This record gives sequence, C-alpha cells and structure tokens, in this order.
Amino acid sequence: MFQLDVLIEDFFSILKVVPQTLLLAVIILILSLFMGGCLALIQRKKIPILFTIITVVQSFLRGTPNVVLLYLGYYSLPFIVQYIVSLMGIDFNPHQLDPVITVIVVFSISFSVFQSETIRGSLHSVERGQIEAAQSLGYGFFHTLWKVIIPQALVEALPDIMNSFLVIIKALSLAYLISVVDIFGQAKLLGAYNFSYIEAFVAAAFVYWILCSIFTLFINKFELRLRKGY
Amino acid sequence: MFMEVSTHKMLLLKNLQISFNDEQVLKGINLTVNKGDVVTLIGPSGTGKTTLLRCINYLEKPDDGEITLGDVHLDYKSIRKKDILKIRRKTAMVFQQYNLFKHKTVIENVMEAQMVVQKKSKKAAYEKSMEELEKVGLIDKINAYPSQLSGGQQQRVSIARALAVEPEVILFDEPTSALDPELVGEVLKVIEAVAKSGITIVLVTHEMSFAQNISTKVVFMDKGKIVEEGTPTEIFNQSSNERTREFLNQFYTRKN
Repeated sequence: MFQLDVLIEDFFSILKVVPQTLLLAVIILILSLFMGGCLALIQRKKIPILFTIITVVQSFLRGTPNVVLLYLGYYSLPFIVQYIVSLMGIDFNPHQLDPVITVIVVFSISFSVFQSETIRGSLHSVERGQIEAAQSLGYGFFHTLWKVIIPQALVEALPDIMNSFLVIIKALSLAYLISVVDIFGQAKLLGAYNFSYIEAFVAAAFVYWILCSIFTLFINKFELRLRKGY
Repeated sequence: MFMEVSTHKMLLLKNLQISFNDEQVLKGINLTVNKGDVVTLIGPSGTGKTTLLRCINYLEKPDDGEITLGDVHLDYKSIRKKDILKIRRKTAMVFQQYNLFKHKTVIENVMEAQMVVQKKSKKAAYEKSMEELEKVGLIDKINAYPSQLSGGQQQRVSIARALAVEPEVILFDEPTSALDPELVGEVLKVIEAVAKSGITIVLVTHEMSFAQNISTKVVFMDKGKIVEEGTPTEIFNQSSNERTREFLNQFYTRKN
C-alpha cells in the first residue's frame, strides 16, 4: 500500500512551505530572545513589582501546554487588539486578525520564559574579573555589555538557543490547529488530499529531520569558530 | 632606586572608609601619592590592601571619604556615574588573575580600550599596542589567544593593555601572586621597567625584596588602617613600630 512516488511527491510539496515555516520560526526566535533578555535583566536587577509579576507569569507559562496557550491566544488576542486599537480611535474587525500574528505573539511569549533562563545562565558564565577589567579601563555600561559580556555569553548560550530554535520549528506544527499551514499542516493537507497519510507524514518527518540536521551541523561549525579563544 | 620625583600631588585619599556586611574593612585611610611615585602597600592578608586599591578606581564603593586624582576631586558620598568614568579613565589596573578578554587575541586585548574608551582610530590603536607589546616582549604573540599563553605572558599582556590607555596612575593588585614561581621574574622585570618610565604606580605585593627595590614609598597596613609609611629604608630597615617589625620578621623567617 505504501507508494514511494506519492512520498516523493509529498516531500517536494512539503519543501515549498519550509521557507515560511523557517521565517516564522526565526521571527519567534528573535522576539523570544529579545523578551527573554528583558526578563533576565528584570530578574537580575530585581526590579520590585515587575519581578513579582514576571515570576507569576513565568510559572503560569511554564505550567501550561502550548496548545492551550495557542487556543487561548486565538480566541482572545483579536479582541485584545480590537480594544487597544479602539483606544486610539481606530475601528478594527477582530476577525481580520491573521492567525499568523497570534502564533507569533503566543509562541514568542511562551518561549521567552525559556530564553530568559538560557540568557541568565550565559550571562552568569562571563567571569566577573573580565567585567571588572573593562570597568577599570573606563568602559561604560553599554560597552562592557556589547564588547565583553555579550560576545562571551553568546558562545555559552548558542547550543541552548539553537536547541530552542529546533523546538520552535517543531512546536509550529501546532499552528495548524489555528489554520496556519507549516510543514505539518502541509503534510496533513496532502494526506487528506491523496488519502495517503502515511506517505505524507513520513515525508514530513524527513523534512523535519533534514532541517534539524542541517542546522545542527551549521551551528556546530559556527560555535567552533566563536570558541577559538577557549 | 632613585628617580626624579616632583612634588606634584597625583592622588590624594582622605578618610576613606568601607564596610562589607557591617564589618569595617578600611577605617579611614589617608594617603598621598606624588607624581612619579611608586607606592607599595604591604601588610598581612585580609588587611584591606587590595580593597584600598580597588576603591581608587571605584571597583569597590567606599562609604565615606574623598579622592583627588589629578584634576578630579570627588566626595564618595555624592558620586555620580560620570565621575566614576572620569576616575577610571585616569587609572588602569593590573589584576592578580590577569583578567584578559578571553575571546580576543593579544593585540585585540590591548587595542580595544583605546578604540572604545579613547575613540582612537584602529591604526593608531594598533601602533600604540605594538609599541606597548614590544616593551613587554610579546611582539611574537600578538595573534595568540590568552588561553594559549603562560600566566606570566598573560600578565605581561595585561600590563601592556593597562599602559596602552596612558593612565595617570597604574594600579597593580598582587600581579605575581597567581603565577608559578619560575614566571614571577619576567613579570617583575616588566613592572620595574614601568616604574622606571616615571609613571605613577600604586602596587600591592607580597614580594618584599621587590617592594624594597622598586618603591619610592612603602605603606604598611594592618587591620584596615595605615600603620606606618616611609621610604623603603625607613620601613624595611629602620622601623621602630612593633607591628611593622613583627610582620617583616615573620616574612623573612618564612622565606629563609
């Protein structure tokens, strides 16, 4: 029953959605890193009220499955946006909100929690002595961060960031639940179209696998280059 | 060691105090360092020598006191961020653990502060760095990473890095304490050359004979206070202070 030609055909039509899946993953990765960085900063500086709020929100996000968050976002975000936009006096039809936006917002927020842990750990790994050396030479806060802390923290964080990128790619398969088509979504559509689910999902699995392998290889090379001084 | 010493005051500390967890570590330090002075702080471990040094460039935040460094005068009670940078840009520090930037090569380590802090061009920074690296004898290592160097070499790079920003005062915090004994000599030689060049130095060290040879002024500290200060001869040979003599005797018996 297994048809190789269908598998191959499915494989290539799944490849077509790879760019948009990757783009989505990259956007989510960047936003989650940015927000994670802010979270890490707030936690490091122990900014009073914010710190408490973040601790609670973090625990909530950590304790709820992505699917639940995704549905929650899908049904609430359009109305939140409508409300905010109406404050500025603009009319907005909540049903116009592209579910892609929902995916980006929900995943960026939920992954930022994990990114903040990664960032906190990597910042911690930079030797205090080097920071003091920079300070003693008259570096300001920004230069110390940019020239000394970030380059070294990045090396430390890279494996974890890469790992989270792969997790995001895989987590995007949930986006199909709110009608955003990614690799998995495409496979599901193809399977339904041909009544050949096994071929479609085998093809999807291969696409995921190949993608992840390529990225792992690439990042290992990159890490080696960054680690020259270690 | 003799050199021309003008009486122009370079660094003045007045009633400097600092506590860690309610324990007073420095109990009102007054210190004068003239331009071109080589001032060595000696004394038992845990006496606050390193803390005093770190207060000068504000790596530790004193609770009270005043500092005058060149044309900058500051009261620690009302210090602002801008003031901290001013002080730090007039000083440079050589650390016990070298503290080189691990992700940068030797030449990049020496160049960076010149470009970042002094806004020099890359070319100017490179030339200055080569000049300083030549002085410390590491011209053949400019493209090495710190991890590829011995402790003595790393410390020499860190001295070059400190010199390259042309500080008015250079602070040495036990620069040879982390080194293997056979590497101490090469670093001391470089420090001696720095001292001879006429730059103002404040040095914390446990190398007593080195302190005796190199210093224009020796400061003996004990329990957070300056007990005695004077020329090397006054402190090492003629001190009548019991604590000073006790410390030095203990040192020499241990050494012999």
